[in-house]
Amino acid sequence: MGIPSDDFLAMVRGALGREDAPPVEPYAPLLDDLAALESQAAAVRERIAGELPGLMTQVADTAALRGWNVARCAGVEDALDYVVSLAGRLGATSVARSEQEVFGAMPVDSALAGVGALCWPAVYEGAESRASVRRRLEECAMGITGADYAVAETGSVIVLPRRGLSRLVSVVPPVHVAVVRPQDIVGTLDDLFALRRLEFYRNGAEGGGDMGSYLNFITGPSRTADIEQTIVVGVHGPKEVHLVMLEQE
Amino acid sequence: MPERSCSANLAGRFAREIELTQPQPKRASLFVTCIIDQLYPEVGVSVVRTLRRCGVEVDFPASQSCCGQPLYNSGFTQEAKRLAMRTLDVFEDADYVVVPSGSCGAMLRVFYLDLFADNPDMLPKAESLSGRVYEFTEFLAEVVGVEEAGGEESGPAQTVAYHPSCHLLREMEVRDAPLRLLESAPRVELADLPDAEQCCGFGGTFAVKYPHISEEMLADKIESILASGADTVTACDMGCLMHIRGAVSRRNLPVAVKHVAQVLDGARDGESG
Amino acid sequence: MAEVATREFVPASQAAVQDTQLRQALRRAGSGFDGTRREAIAEVTPEVWEGWREQARRIKEHTIAHLDYYLAMLEKNVTAAGGRVHFAADAQQANAIVSEIARNAGVRTVTKSKSMVSEELGLNHVLEALGIDVFETDLGEYIIQLAEETPSHLVAPALHKTRGQVAQLFAEKLGVPYSDDIEEMARVARIVLRQKFLDADMGVSGANFLVAETGSLVIITNEGNGRLCTSAPRIHVGLAGMEKVIPSLQDLAVFLRLLPRSATGQRITSYMSMVTGPRRPGDEDGPEEFHLVIVDNGRSRLLQDPALRESLYCIRCGACLNVCPVYQRIGGHAYGWVYPGPIGSIVTPGLVGVAQAKDLPNASTLCGACRDACPVQINIPRMLLHLRHQQAESSDYNQRTASDTDALLARGFASVMSSPWLLKLGRAASRAMAGPLAKDGKIGQSRLPLLSRWTRARDLPIPPARTFRDVWRDELSRGRG
Ligand code: SF4
Repeated sequence: MGIPSDDFLAMVRGALGREDAPPVEPYAPLLDDLAALESQAAAVRERIAGELPGLMTQVADTAALRGWNVARCAGVEDALDYVVSLAGRLGATSVARSEQEVFGAMPVDSALAGVGALCWPAVYEGAESRASVRRRLEECAMGITGADYAVAETGSVIVLPRRGLSRLVSVVPPVHVAVVRPQDIVGTLDDLFALRRLEFYRNGAEGGGDMGSYLNFITGPSRTADIEQTIVVGVHGPKEVHLVMLEQE
Repeated sequence: MPERSCSANLAGRFAREIELTQPQPKRASLFVTCIIDQLYPEVGVSVVRTLRRCGVEVDFPASQSCCGQPLYNSGFTQEAKRLAMRTLDVFEDADYVVVPSGSCGAMLRVFYLDLFADNPDMLPKAESLSGRVYEFTEFLAEVVGVEEAGGEESGPAQTVAYHPSCHLLREMEVRDAPLRLLESAPRVELADLPDAEQCCGFGGTFAVKYPHISEEMLADKIESILASGADTVTACDMGCLMHIRGAVSRRNLPVAVKHVAQVLDGARDGESG
Repeated sequence: MAEVATREFVPASQAAVQDTQLRQALRRAGSGFDGTRREAIAEVTPEVWEGWREQARRIKEHTIAHLDYYLAMLEKNVTAAGGRVHFAADAQQANAIVSEIARNAGVRTVTKSKSMVSEELGLNHVLEALGIDVFETDLGEYIIQLAEETPSHLVAPALHKTRGQVAQLFAEKLGVPYSDDIEEMARVARIVLRQKFLDADMGVSGANFLVAETGSLVIITNEGNGRLCTSAPRIHVGLAGMEKVIPSLQDLAVFLRLLPRSATGQRITSYMSMVTGPRRPGDEDGPEEFHLVIVDNGRSRLLQDPALRESLYCIRCGACLNVCPVYQRIGGHAYGWVYPGPIGSIVTPGLVGVAQAKDLPNASTLCGACRDACPVQINIPRMLLHLRHQQAESSDYNQRTASDTDALLARGFASVMSSPWLLKLGRAASRAMAGPLAKDGKIGQSRLPLLSRWTRARDLPIPPARTFRDVWRDELSRGRG
């Protein structure tokens, strides 16, 4: 069908007017080894720890500007109250959630059950097929996930889909709630990518790495301006997004 | 009409400066551009008068010709080089080369470097010229340090819309100098030109190759000029102004079209001093 | 490959300037996008903004200069993550690769998120010919797919359509009651396409960036369709021009800052999805197969020419279109191929051949607004000049498309301007000829061939009796004015 990569690369090389394969100049970021990445990440972590109260406010402010409904909650109780009242307002009977650590400390299932909403983990178990989980997701009123990171610079939440965390919980239901803990917060995009690079090299065997299959970077609701540059929210993803920030876990 | 040598206080200040620092008067070689030479000599006259009023010694090397930009812009670099080499020769010994056009100025300052990029004999000459080329208002404001270049206080009061021509703005990166000089001129009121930095649609041969697009751009520029309420439109490029004047004249609009030098010189539309 | 209509530039642009609906749409979009872009830039200091541009430019310069190296690194890392990389020299090969993947997997329905490369390949028609249902899911792309048109802008494909036209289209093609309420139209699209997302066997996406270090494909969207296309179907095929690669994950940050701000004035888009291979064992979902198709299709021609190489730094933000006075008057379709506007006038001749697209490099005033707006500082006017130079003087006869008349005029002009005698002669002749044409000291509308193109809407001055050099000699040289 296509052409072998060697031929393709030889052609590119030819266009560049070179005959040899290796590049000439080394590229600084790619020279980092695990130790360098670890010290970078440690520096990032240390800086964040020092600035945390300010960064939390920045996350809240920026996220609000980007279209999140931000709820700063003193603790788990407050957060549960927020989610329960949101479910009540939506008249939700079915709420999907991921299986993430944060829900161990924050029992959303029982809290929502109290108002008559069934909160269920969107995971494929045993015989339950992909199709039926999808059907249930289609019908539920909201999806709740934790966050792997929240970026102060952009007001974004990063979710890394994996076991227990479907890619679809945060995109299919019309409302998405993301629960952010203080330890999820980073300052800038550079912080985020420095930390991810460390994870990447750590996860891999023998010099290679593993990113995980997906990284979801979410900032506010789904939107379009494709007709007459008029902004409409809630096209293919959620119309309404909530950032529940736990001030402490 | 009697002419003062410079606006009074400036003349005074200039005199004081001479006493204090004894600067040599700046010597400018005028590259008048072929469009002014052939079609708008009165603009050249205003340029010379204004420079002299500001204490500049002006010299006009008569063997100069076209800078070659029309050819360069249409891809005929071989022909453009013929004219460029001539220009390099003519101005080889000039202290400053002053050009009353952002477009031709850009050719001399910026595009000659590209034109001779792989010609080791000519490149040093092009580089030397590049460092000595100034657009007319840029020269007055940045080199001579003139703050007021206006002449005739008895000239007509004008509300002036300034159109920043594209090459002046984006190739020569001259933004403030013409505005500063215009602002300081007596009896000149600057009007706010909407979408000022939009191209007027001239673009040399573009105007005749794609007249249907050029005319649309021109029509919008004219609309902006009318919306500004100005009675005069000005710019630092006679190419753009010929284009704008073409429409003003066709539609009999009550707007005078003048080069910045003419506004500073207090000339009436189409008149030389 | 998508149909090439670049030869029709003149009639198409003539029709476009007459189209009042188009003009209205362009005005709204141009000032809208450009206004928000300027606001977003004004939010950071000029030093910061210029710093970002320079950083991005350096990254692109480095990567493109070592493109073979980074493509090899990308291939290695995509493969390590369980994906497959395919290389296509041209559109035909790329289409064959995607067709083969679809055929092998028994694909019946494809959902697509926006991909300009796919437009370039004309992929939809190829898949449809195999009996596969193809659905564009970006709202703008969906609209033009229904209308059987091509995109008219890099980031807003349906920019040329008014809401009334979209409402009409939805009523006709989808059988919904006519409503020109934009929210309602978006809702209709959501409902129709939601089912397609769940039915699709294969998702096709473009790529804003490819990260060599990690083997990741990055797409940036607002609607969420990209997330669904890359998550729900069992196969994901990513299409990318070979220039999309960047070395490190770290390099992504600056592009995430520049691209949304330049494109729509957003500080960040709603979504950025980074796909690295297919689902891992244990993942709840995601595709079982991940394919990345890297496309040349003429790009190596741009790569080969040092003067045009920087066109491959383009991140397709569309800012140059939004500030271009020509694009703003004629819209995207008049350019005759997939990539319109200033950058299209470089890329299109490169990809479809210079001789096919004679007008594109010339249809510009070289005003330079595009270069000022470009987040990677691409010097578009300089490349337009280079293409004009090729048209006029290339040693390759195929590229020499400037007309003989132009060449003759150029030579004549140079000769006249180099000789004081000829200039005097020419001037006398033109004054003599202007005489009968002139009225009130100027030339009005004329029917003479070349002259008429100027005088259609503009008067022309007649050369005065004396030139500046005459005045200088007679008066100015002697004294002080
Ligand atoms: S050339 Fe520059 S401004 Fe134009 S689309 Fe590409 S990146 Fe954006």
